[in-house]
Amino acid sequence: MQKRRKRGELAVVAAFLVLGFLLALQLKSVRQQTAVDATSASRLETLQELYNNVVNERDGLKDQLTTAQKELEDYRSAAASGEGSEALKSEVEYLSMVAGLTDVEGPGVMVILQDSTATNTSGEEADYLIHDSDLLSVINELRDAGAQALSLNGERILATSEVRCAGSVVLINGQRVAAPFVLYAIGDPTTLYNALTMRGGVVDVLSQWKIQVNVTMSEKLLIEKYSGSIATDYLSPAQEETEGSER
Amino acid sequence: MLWLEILGLGVGLVLGFVCPWTVPAAWSLYVAAGLLAALDSALGGVRARLQGQFKLSIFLSGAIGNAAIAMFLAWLGEKLGIPLYLAAVVVFGTRLFQNFAEIRRELLTAQQKRAKIKQDLENPQ
Repeated sequence: MQKRRKRGELAVVAAFLVLGFLLALQLKSVRQQTAVDATSASRLETLQELYNNVVNERDGLKDQLTTAQKELEDYRSAAASGEGSEALKSEVEYLSMVAGLTDVEGPGVMVILQDSTATNTSGEEADYLIHDSDLLSVINELRDAGAQALSLNGERILATSEVRCAGSVVLINGQRVAAPFVLYAIGDPTTLYNALTMRGGVVDVLSQWKIQVNVTMSEKLLIEKYSGSIATDYLSPAQEETEGSER
Repeated sequence: MLWLEILGLGVGLVLGFVCPWTVPAAWSLYVAAGLLAALDSALGGVRARLQGQFKLSIFLSGAIGNAAIAMFLAWLGEKLGIPLYLAAVVVFGTRLFQNFAEIRRELLTAQQKRAKIKQDLENPQ
């Protein structure tokens, strides 16, 4: 009798145990799911907003591009129909090539700079990284040796281009680029090569810090045009004719 | 009288909260159906024990069978597109009130009935 009673008691207690367990489990799950739903909803909202912003920006840029292309077309047709069109056309071509607004190709050198692999002994991390000043000295050397077009990691270096340290990256034409840095220079390959690798030259100095500089001569390099816009809002042609203004 | 049951419920709750896994959303309905069946069984068991009509075989078959049917209804409802688990909700809900009413009566009139219950337990059938 007592045993049967005990077993019954045990069974009911077991039922209560299962009940409590399921209850807690379900409560926990429901609470978690509500939380998940809430976060995914707010995340969705944020993403939607971001998406809308990007779409608007893209549409704006598209419009801008269409306008610019139309303008270009106008200029072209005007140039072709006008007096002395051939001269004008070649002038435009020459100027845009010099300004860096067309893709150019020719022989030159390719310079690859990589951060130092040496173990840090001076305790100064900065000594072993490539800085804007290192890049600028290489670029300066290349220009001195007669480089006619330059690009850094695919960004055309213009007369107005900056090469500037921005944290761990380098800014050029407002774009961030990071090591390894690849410089293309079009000019006389031998001159360019020798200018960089001469004794006591830039490569020599950088190698002291075990910064890897690879200079290779190339028969044909392609340097892409600058695809952004050049601000001229502070500029206007000088009124007085000065000497040498004819170019 | 009901201390062991309450203790069991508490231990179950603690176990459920401590236990690391949770029910995936897709299974939530089945657990809810099982939960209702367990609730019904637990209260039914208490009622039967208080009334002295408790039989282990009936209790166990009812608990397992009811839970199985409730889950089956939930599953079938999902397949058919009819919320059939509502049948379980209604039945178990009604029985919950009934069981509670009888437990209430039983406990409140325990004084008068205690003697009789004792008698019943000592001489079943």
